[in-house]
Amino acid sequence: MIGANDVLKFSSLLAEEMAALVRRVQSSLVVVRGRRYGAGAGIIWDSDGLILTNNHVVGRQTPFVLLGDDREFEARLVARDPEIDLALLQIPAQDLPAASIADSNHLKVGELVFALGHPWGQRGYVTRGVVSALSQAQTSGKRGRIPIIRTDAPLAPGNSGGPLVNAAGAVIGINTLIVGGDQGVAIPSYLASEFVASSGFAKHFVKEREPAEAII
Amino acid sequence: MSDTQVNPLTELSEAMAEAVAKAGAATVLVDARRRMPASGIGYASDLILTADHVIERDEDIKIVLPDGSEVRAQVAGRDPGTDLALLRLERAATAVAQSAAQEARVGQLVLALGRPTPEGIQASLGMVSAIGGPVRTGRGGLIERYLRTDTIPYPGFSGGPLVDTAGYVVGVNTSGLARGASLTIPVALAWQVADTLAQHGHVRRGYLGLRSQPVEISEAGQRALGRQQATGLLVVGVENKSPAVEGGLIVGDILVGVAGQPVADHDELLSRLTGDIVGKPTPVQVLRGGQPQTLTVTVGER
Repeated sequence: MIGANDVLKFSSLLAEEMAALVRRVQSSLVVVRGRRYGAGAGIIWDSDGLILTNNHVVGRQTPFVLLGDDREFEARLVARDPEIDLALLQIPAQDLPAASIADSNHLKVGELVFALGHPWGQRGYVTRGVVSALSQAQTSGKRGRIPIIRTDAPLAPGNSGGPLVNAAGAVIGINTLIVGGDQGVAIPSYLASEFVASSGFAKHFVKEREPAEAII
Repeated sequence: MSDTQVNPLTELSEAMAEAVAKAGAATVLVDARRRMPASGIGYASDLILTADHVIERDEDIKIVLPDGSEVRAQVAGRDPGTDLALLRLERAATAVAQSAAQEARVGQLVLALGRPTPEGIQASLGMVSAIGGPVRTGRGGLIERYLRTDTIPYPGFSGGPLVDTAGYVVGVNTSGLARGASLTIPVALAWQVADTLAQHGHVRRGYLGLRSQPVEISEAGQRALGRQQATGLLVVGVENKSPAVEGGLIVGDILVGVAGQPVADHDELLSRLTGDIVGKPTPVQVLRGGQPQTLTVTVGER
């Protein structure tokens, strides 16, 4: 039998783990400021300064990237794909805390997820939910239909380009569309991985990265 | 955290995905209206429990199972009062949902499930925000208890289950009872209604044929009754040839009990007048001139 004390111990471990996860993911979260549009979010894709965000966040001109440690860089746009609304930026910085990327091919409906971003300008805001549905969306480009992740984690303007992470803190998707305020859509991380790989700018293409171990 | 300890967060996540898979196997698509399909729950291998308001036609009702196969179904019974309907499949084809043994508690983590498209199961996480009731619904219905949750009621989730983190059903979700707001009918009531619908095709609601209003019972009246009961229902009118008249009820009586149970207000009277009591001679206790009397009334059917 599990006693009340065990249950309470479990729930406090759960709370600690959640806080640790959010701190970890926040370190890989950046603000992307386009010149004409408002700010969105992005993630540090690799430690040498590759930043992944939404294409619509970047806009037409050179964007700025604000890191978690408040350093700000003018970024170079190295690749973009409007069809899946992704853009890859390069900033002149080294030894950055890269996000860990999960394999989104093994997602299950009901998995716990967290969305991080800057809704309404609130930096590093986190919301929780689950994978609500694994469905498809029609694109305007040559792909036709692409797989998407729907989540019930609340999203708002400013979440665009930010990560949707699983219970291990690894990125499973890039938050992209916000439908009616209570239904978010994320582009699966493996589409993002393919996009980065095809850009030719990634030093190494890691198909599946093991999620970082939690250390408390 | 050492290597030997499990990560409680990934454990919880895994458990919820498992719960969705388990309950999702008994959650089906119900196609019986013009706009998008809704959801239903396997109540028996050939019976689907769903929301009454999503059944807009009696014929050509189509059920899509989790594996994508289609089965025809017919209406086995409907109860607009609780917004529940039971459909009978043309063959035994569905997995059966398991109900939770314990009643839902405020603060409990829950998942709302639905299958409005053949693409796959859908889910939303939340918790039981409040337990309310009794609430009167249209057409004489009364729901003794309902659940409110902060899960997102996605389009087509009506008729689908609310489940706990182990995949056991704690209720049936519907947006058809409270002007579009989502309510959850607790599984105990939903299963009871489903059982009645399977047997009789409808839920029997009793009829007495009297008009009444709640009044306080004096201390002397309560002493005469031999119990503490602050209120009863003052009979202010009876309909001709109604069960009330046939049973001897008259204007001025204070109705205080039905079938051995105290009745303090209209909601209690409505809830006592459902089910097996209908059509049967039933003891009705009144205060007449300050003295308790028990009359026998054969409860009619509404």
